[in-house]
Amino acid sequence: MVSQSELVKEARENGMELLPLDKDTYELFFGPQHMATENFSIILKMDGHRVVKAIANPGFLHRGFEKLAEFRPWYTNIALLLRICVPEPDVPEAIYSMAVDELMGWEVPERAQWIRTVVLEMARVSSYLFWTMGLGFKLGVYTAGQWAAAYRERLMALFEELTGARVYHIYTIPGGVRRDIPSDKWLRQLKDTVEYIKDKLKDFDNVLFENYITHRRMEGIGVMDKKFALDEGVTGPNLRATGVAADVRKLDPYLFYPELDFEIPVLKEGDALARALVRRFELEQDLYILEQLLEMGPPSGAYKVQDPRLKALPRFKVPAGEAYAHVEATMGDFGAYVVSDGGSKPYRVQIRGPSIAHGIRVLEQLLVGARIADVPVILMSLGNCPPDIDR
Amino acid sequence: MAKEEVIVQKVLEKAPYAEGKVKRERRIEFKVPADRIREFLMIMKENNFESMMQITVVDWLKDGEFELVYQLWSYTYAVHAFVKTRIPRDLDKARMPTVKDIYPVAETYERDAHDFYGVYFEGNEKMEMPWILDDAEQGLFPHRKDFDWLGYTKRKYKILDRFDEDKDNYVI
Repeated sequence: MVSQSELVKEARENGMELLPLDKDTYELFFGPQHMATENFSIILKMDGHRVVKAIANPGFLHRGFEKLAEFRPWYTNIALLLRICVPEPDVPEAIYSMAVDELMGWEVPERAQWIRTVVLEMARVSSYLFWTMGLGFKLGVYTAGQWAAAYRERLMALFEELTGARVYHIYTIPGGVRRDIPSDKWLRQLKDTVEYIKDKLKDFDNVLFENYITHRRMEGIGVMDKKFALDEGVTGPNLRATGVAADVRKLDPYLFYPELDFEIPVLKEGDALARALVRRFELEQDLYILEQLLEMGPPSGAYKVQDPRLKALPRFKVPAGEAYAHVEATMGDFGAYVVSDGGSKPYRVQIRGPSIAHGIRVLEQLLVGARIADVPVILMSLGNCPPDIDR
Repeated sequence: MAKEEVIVQKVLEKAPYAEGKVKRERRIEFKVPADRIREFLMIMKENNFESMMQITVVDWLKDGEFELVYQLWSYTYAVHAFVKTRIPRDLDKARMPTVKDIYPVAETYERDAHDFYGVYFEGNEKMEMPWILDDAEQGLFPHRKDFDWLGYTKRKYKILDRFDEDKDNYVI
């Protein structure tokens, strides 16, 4: 048995720091190499296996997108800003495009709106499957995680056929979408995929969401109430798990959502399990929305606006003004504030990622008193996505 | 009368020093002097603007001013409010009182604004804590419009030495 002072000495000699803070507590660096934190780090003050204090330490993914966007033409920014959200890159594309549409005063054609809605919903389903994968892995229910990854692959293939890329699609552009739906066969394939994933939800319930392990690990940890959530700017599924029936798709409707019929799942408990179950119910609703959209069929017409100003893209300018657009992403409320001074480049773009609220103050407060093994579970239940904190 | 106009009137009755208007459906805008911002945000919170979405700093270099846009969202009315204020952009004068006691989440947004623009929020004790930028980048405030980004890049990454300093139209 090595004594603590020898351990500290050895660590120092090898350029490592192990910091016993006092008799009872020690400092633990959780991430950014840890699989659960995903390029994000938390500095924990531990007492045995309990967290006494947590400090979120972001910045490992900072690439200065907001500054870079000020140096690039309006249309080029699409290929840049979508990298802010890795699991659903269509969301930053859509909000930036919607803000530019508003500045231009464009009425986006119905067909383009329909395609944008389908793409956003596909992104939501794919992002929830990605999240289910992460949750399965963090809870040790590996089977469900592997299933989710395999089903997501079907959506990736459909995205590839529609946009030419699997992950970063660069598809939604100001004024519409970059190209039309490839064929009716693609729509039939999407319909089959939706039905296929819908059939598999029962399996996910059996293996993951109704599993004893899941309930044992997630029930009653990371609890927040309604007032706390509103004060801390919590949005999306995390807010709905505290009993607030708020969804941007209902409150501030955009694209085709006013014509669609869907429910907002709300739970009252506010713990990690409630947040996970809200996401599970939303996955079902998203599949239902996709079914409705496919039933409706794409409206006829153009898939992007016809404007003489688009003839010469290098000289494309946007009138001065500012616009804010936001959509309901799987992480929460994703918004873009775009300011134009009438030039060929944006004057200022700010992307509001939901994790800037969830991943810093909320996380720091929810972790206090948690066990070290619960830290990844709380992180996962919040749906924390570090790239939209760092930008 | 539309609900947006009713909200604007209700707020302006309590805060006659502000200017307010309806931008479009579900978007309203207020212009407030910098020293009354705390008072005004308290009124907004009482009027069911429960959540703060972000604080945007826009650097208007020609005017020598920062525009701070406090963006609030009301779940009750489903209305997004821009609360705008202007402060000088000089480093020693770009100071604002914190609003973290009104909207606790503002603490994070204020740290972000300080790291990238150098706006100092008095009363926010996490102002000096490291945020996203590295130690070596502290105090550079890279999102300011007059930040010498080409010079900084050349100093940091030696590979750019082959570029000619007199030319200024590089597209990176």
